Amino acid sequence: MQRDKFFKEVENVIHPNETLVKTHCAYCGMQCGMNLRVNRATNKIIGVEPRYDWPVTVGKMCPKGVTAYQQTNHDDRILKPLIRDDASLKGTKEGFREASWNEAYDLIVKKFSELQNKYGKDSLSVFSGVSMTNEKCYLTGKFARVALGTRYIDYNGRFCMSSAAGGFLRSFGVDRGSTLPWTDIHETDCLFIAGSNTAECHPTSMFRVWNVQERGGYIIVVDPRETPIARRADVHLDLKPGTDLALANGILNLLIQKGYADKEFINNHTNGFEETKELVKEFTPEYTSELTGVAPEKIIRAAEIYGKAPNAVVMFARGIEQQHKGVDNVSGYTNMALVTGKIGRPKSGVATFTGQGNGQGGREHGQKADLLPGYRKITNPKHVEEVCKVWKITPEEMPQPGVSAYEMFELMEQKTIRGLYLLCSNPAVSAPNLNFVRSAMKNLDFMLCSDFYLSESAEFADVILPSVTWSEDEGTVTNLEGRIIKINKAQEPIGESKPDWQIQVELAERLGRGKYFSYLKTAKDIADEFRLASKGGYADYYGATWDKIDKQDGVFWPCKDENDKGTPHMFLDKKFYHADGKAKICALPYRPPAEEPDEKYPLRLTTGRVVYHYLSGNQTRRIQFLRDMCPEPYVEVHPETAKIYNMEHEERVRLFTRRGEAIYKVKITEAIRKDTVFVPYHFGHEQSINLLTIAALDPISRMPEYKACAAQLEKVEIKKVQ
Amino acid sequence: MKKRLYLELENCIGCRSCLAACTQCGGHEERNRNYVYDVNPMVNRQTMPLMCLHCVNPACARSCPAQAIQIHETGAVLSALVEKCIGCQNCTIACPYGIPKFDTEQNLMYKCDLCIDRTKDSIPPMCASVCPSNTLQWLTDEEIENKKKQFNLDNGKWVTSIPYLEGETNVKVNLPGILQGITKLF
Ligand code: SF4
Ligand code: SF4
Ligand code: SF4
Repeated sequence: MQRDKFFKEVENVIHPNETLVKTHCAYCGMQCGMNLRVNRATNKIIGVEPRYDWPVTVGKMCPKGVTAYQQTNHDDRILKPLIRDDASLKGTKEGFREASWNEAYDLIVKKFSELQNKYGKDSLSVFSGVSMTNEKCYLTGKFARVALGTRYIDYNGRFCMSSAAGGFLRSFGVDRGSTLPWTDIHETDCLFIAGSNTAECHPTSMFRVWNVQERGGYIIVVDPRETPIARRADVHLDLKPGTDLALANGILNLLIQKGYADKEFINNHTNGFEETKELVKEFTPEYTSELTGVAPEKIIRAAEIYGKAPNAVVMFARGIEQQHKGVDNVSGYTNMALVTGKIGRPKSGVATFTGQGNGQGGREHGQKADLLPGYRKITNPKHVEEVCKVWKITPEEMPQPGVSAYEMFELMEQKTIRGLYLLCSNPAVSAPNLNFVRSAMKNLDFMLCSDFYLSESAEFADVILPSVTWSEDEGTVTNLEGRIIKINKAQEPIGESKPDWQIQVELAERLGRGKYFSYLKTAKDIADEFRLASKGGYADYYGATWDKIDKQDGVFWPCKDENDKGTPHMFLDKKFYHADGKAKICALPYRPPAEEPDEKYPLRLTTGRVVYHYLSGNQTRRIQFLRDMCPEPYVEVHPETAKIYNMEHEERVRLFTRRGEAIYKVKITEAIRKDTVFVPYHFGHEQSINLLTIAALDPISRMPEYKACAAQLEKVEIKKVQ
Repeated sequence: MKKRLYLELENCIGCRSCLAACTQCGGHEERNRNYVYDVNPMVNRQTMPLMCLHCVNPACARSCPAQAIQIHETGAVLSALVEKCIGCQNCTIACPYGIPKFDTEQNLMYKCDLCIDRTKDSIPPMCASVCPSNTLQWLTDEEIENKKKQFNLDNGKWVTSIPYLEGETNVKVNLPGILQGITKLF
């Protein structure tokens, strides 16, 4: 496969009595290659060794990756099924007792059957995640539809990648997170990066990012904060949170006005240009500046650099996607590439930084309320028929589409949904408007949670099943490039823990649906069925056999058959996936954030990650090194703002919105806008910033607006002890 | 081929992966041995690693009354020998960069040994292996020469062009500001 200039032939150090198992990181979409060190006497994972031979990351890892191995044999692992008999203890860690698998399964089957008999099939729901293999993601979708027969399945990608998916589908007719491989990134001439704190959230992209500047190229960063990448950017567009679409329209207008539009490309390969051109005319640098708070000169300079660059890549992440116009933001920034024709060739294109390890693969194969394997639509009879053939059910048996992740909690509150099977996710920390979400979870008649640690969400469960970490199972994931890669098993599951796919097969058998599941005895069996189920879909994995993945250092989808090497670069033939083969340039009217600052709530609250933690922190908060580096959340405040509120560095203050409040330490920094405050979201219970965030959903992706709402700060009176 | 640790301070993103990885080297007893500083945390997000520079004539070793700090044939200045270190802490004061750390429980100095387990065979040390931003690199002298040329030495930012704090070092450092000398592509 491609070996670029960063690749060096290096031999690994193998200590006596140790074996190295090649695999990838447990966490983000970078999926850095790593070797797990396994002690041959104990057969336990004891450490990590770089994987210099992985072409994307050449041995590099962030501190999460370096310490990821510490999850496997961690003291906090759940080793046996847990049952809680006293429902009044829901929402706490209390009252769980150890049980046998048989007792736990019996109870689950009894409760599930009772609920479905009394309230119908759809009274059960499945809430899953994409920090697990394609095989598990695929089987979870099948389990919900075939074993439980419920329409209500959705997943945490709604809080992560759904806006990118919606935007790409609209612009290109296909949703592959990156139109080009990461090994192209450092060779481009301009990176336009919007709403991505790349250095903290996808750190191992940074050696490529910096190399663009080292070669004399440019980096443009759009972010309300001066993140480590913004600090060194050639242009930092420091916009108000939630105003991206105005900026995208403003830049597009300048690109057109200044003659950077590629007429030939537009005419031959796109629709929608004229209409869009008219719409963005209004977005002069001055008007754009008024809406976004970015100086007009900077907007002009950014457009000029992007326009002039022979090759350029537009990149973005949750900053622009976690808004109630996230899909429009994605299409808005994607317009830049379509209007200038900087797409469909090496070193140019569009990419999103996928958040979760399998954020790409996990959204393609049927965990989403309206999707079936291979990116098929559950509302399309032909698609349903194709999948039914593989699943050996009739189209009549296929449930209807369900609702999105946040909307499932609304249905729990209304008692439409009465039972929940939660896996691979921690919505009690990661969902927005948590006071509501936590009360909805409490309101359930029965909740099953499968996890390897007792997460904040597991605290709401009646039964907890011990699942395995990524290192105790095998399967494929699809990284942020759209490259299907292989996760390998380095250790046997500890205690009585089992992989989620095995749990689902065993549960299905007990639910009387064994004939659809029992033959799936290994992850490989599932892989083979899943490839077949994806065959002929947009996200066609049929040709991506484990063997080929190993030989080729991964396979980029689509990969249709045995001889297909896969598709590292999308659209090289300038054919997009809409029926007429053209891409869509989208005319997108600007909308402000759902909740704008006012007198009572004058500040803009935005949230995000730190380099030391992953998502809800359920995993990383337990790792000593990471906890030492970032033990608690804080609120970033500009010194001038802090002065107005008379607040000192490290003082504890109350931050509140219309939905909730929390106490945080103040971190004073000039690296943020004066009208904006920032809090990282990795923390549980009363420290969760999502107690404050707003559940304004994008009309297409149903993504909540995590990135912008109105807030207020207040000093905390310290009551003197009498 | 002899390789050296090379630091390009401008690149650091403060992830502290170098520190996490330091614990992974055999013989490091899972303790990290270097430092990453926030340069001016209330102002911006600039950070930089402070690594042992493996001085050619190291003050730490010179100051040691017990000859506990040995210099490896590769030039790496090793951690104190357990059987020789008397716990006087002279080295922690002598080092101009404050590198050696002290374990009060074991009454023993410990410091970066440049992952001698690895670097003796020219395998990159853990910090440079994982550093996501290429702040820490493991390069041949020729590659370092090329870096010098690329980064326009006249801007005075190449550390070997300014007087040393403590004599010549085996580790080569490139101070922040190097990008100022780069010619833009367009
Ligand atoms: S968290 Fe992401 S960047 Fe860090 S090591 Fe894991 S995959 Fe790589
Ligand atoms: S690993 Fe590299 S980027 Fe991260 S703190 Fe260390 S030197 Fe800086
Ligand atoms: S930097 Fe300090 S500890 Fe390292 S060799 Fe020089 S004097 Fe010794």
